[in-house]
Amino acid sequence: MSSVLEISPLTRVEGHGRIEVHFAGTKVETVSLSLYESPRFFEALLKGKSYAEVPEIICRVCSLCSTVHRICSLHAIERAMDIQVSEQVRLYRELILYGGHIQSHALHLFCLVLPDCFNVAGLAGLADKAPQELQRWLRIKSAGNLIQETVGGRTIHPVTLIPGGMGKPVAREGLLKLKEALQRVLPETHQAYELFRPFLPNGDKLATPRYLSVRPEGASPFLGDNLTMGNGETIPADSYMNLLCERMSGTGNAKTILVKNQPATVGALARLNLGMPLTPMAAAAFEESRMLLTDADIRANNLAQAVELILTVERSLDIIEILLKADFTREEPARIVPKKGRGSTAVEAPRGLLIHSYSFDGRGICRGADIITPTVINQAAMERDLLALATHMEGADDEALTDALERLVRAYDPCISCAVHVLKI
Amino acid sequence: MKKPIIAIAGLTACSGCQLTLLNCEEELPEIAQRFIIDYFPLGLTERLITGPIDVAIVEGAVSTPSDLEILMKLRNSSHSLVALGTCALWGGIAAMKNQESRKDLAETVYGSAADGLKTFNPQPLHRFVKIDFAITGCPPETGELLATLAALLRGTFPVFPHYPVCSECRSRENLCLLIERNEMCLGPLIQAGCNARCPAVGIGCEGCRGPVTEANVAAETELLLKKGFPMDEIVSRMQRFYPEWDYEQRS
Repeated sequence: MSSVLEISPLTRVEGHGRIEVHFAGTKVETVSLSLYESPRFFEALLKGKSYAEVPEIICRVCSLCSTVHRICSLHAIERAMDIQVSEQVRLYRELILYGGHIQSHALHLFCLVLPDCFNVAGLAGLADKAPQELQRWLRIKSAGNLIQETVGGRTIHPVTLIPGGMGKPVAREGLLKLKEALQRVLPETHQAYELFRPFLPNGDKLATPRYLSVRPEGASPFLGDNLTMGNGETIPADSYMNLLCERMSGTGNAKTILVKNQPATVGALARLNLGMPLTPMAAAAFEESRMLLTDADIRANNLAQAVELILTVERSLDIIEILLKADFTREEPARIVPKKGRGSTAVEAPRGLLIHSYSFDGRGICRGADIITPTVINQAAMERDLLALATHMEGADDEALTDALERLVRAYDPCISCAVHVLKI
Repeated sequence: MKKPIIAIAGLTACSGCQLTLLNCEEELPEIAQRFIIDYFPLGLTERLITGPIDVAIVEGAVSTPSDLEILMKLRNSSHSLVALGTCALWGGIAAMKNQESRKDLAETVYGSAADGLKTFNPQPLHRFVKIDFAITGCPPETGELLATLAALLRGTFPVFPHYPVCSECRSRENLCLLIERNEMCLGPLIQAGCNARCPAVGIGCEGCRGPVTEANVAAETELLLKKGFPMDEIVSRMQRFYPEWDYEQRS
């Protein structure tokens, strides 16, 4: 007797997804994960558009990660056009990148994951059972959003980030307000880390992930020109196509990716394991939880995100200090003379490695675009882990299995809106 | 007072409108208390739309059979339906190339695998069902979303401004990017309510809130042409969030 358990739609994840577990008797045969987000064909939308329009369009691919998509596209465009941006622009972009990570991790940890820790269905349950934690979440998240709003001019789909430069810089008083808000939530990010520390799973360990991330250069943990893997191998980000091989998934509108024919794992846990530079409080937290985070499966990713909350708040404060000292005034964006070429760059998005690659003709019109998102990279590993967990749990009732599989998916923090847009040119 | 039962769902979109609700950090605990949230897959473990629902709030355009099924279910089980955001109201970013062949777009991204995709041109909700109210914006303004929720508690809908972004921009005393800096700013054509966010930080209006009533489209187009922008660039920018402008319209 064969039967199917369908979990649809996946709840408390971004976007539309579905899991199907196929049984033969009580034995698990296969588990499929479909990301059936309605396709929006972003790469096709970008074709024929001027380079100046590209960042404003592509950030709409996803709201949770609109900032990092916008920054990654700016980097790729500037690479293709051979443009250098000023120190001021670099600093503001780095700051807003942290703002994006703070709001995204806070949303994921507290709104999507925390209900599992308190066995409630969602917000109303949290308001009832964990009002203090809820308030703490809202304060951390709002500090991240204040960075987005102050630096980007808008919380979602920030407007000030443009090729070669930026709109108005933030006034001194805006920076001071940001500093105050971030200083207030810094201790709370540590409390958030302590909150998630005990919620690691016990029982059978899943596969040890094969990590992949940007190799950080300088003090910024999320930026660099090379990719690095757990085996120490590094390759330049612009030759990503040699590393990733793509296969069209049979079950959804997303493609899956293998790295050297194996599922790869990207995200906060990958970054911590691949040695990204940490700030003092984040380093202390990582040291304290080293065993939990280094000899782990993906379910430790929630704790890794909590460590990153500390990191990103600390780094934001560092950048704000530099900006306050520098006291920048408004500058004109770098003059861009369009030229034919291609630019490929990588940035660490909240959910992991993100790659944008564009080719332009001599008028600066986009002729091809390729976007590789962290969720697409993680999908193969998600499917592997779902199968392993379902197999470990053979004999469990549907409710327990549904609950466990959904929690596992949440640990990967998939962003399904982003995940359906991949193109190989 | 009876708590209104609400449902929040996303169709073809980026979740940004739903995130706008979650970005109301100060108000969220009170919202959770004053409403019964019956269906909200992004934030709640509840897979079924059972109803009856007082107000369904729907983000996104309709571009797949599954979108349509969810929309129909919500319409059938709800007293009122609110289109949340530019995609739900105007078609939005995914609709910008609706004049081109859907099949060609699909093949550009998915190659031969495109055949298996069940998708049609992204359309606003009102092409399929009656909508009772709309909040525009990509993303919507938190203030307008909160005003709507507050009005719902009183069993009504709020009234939003029907004038262009320029009105708000001028009252903020921003430099006019269109006239004084010769930039492509769509402010004269676009629904206000954002307090001219983009021009206020030195960036031209990209039109994310869709057409204002009585927009003088022809005059804006002529002005941009006179300033030296080629027609294809103007059309490309204007269609970013709404593909159906009438370029001859003089309000």
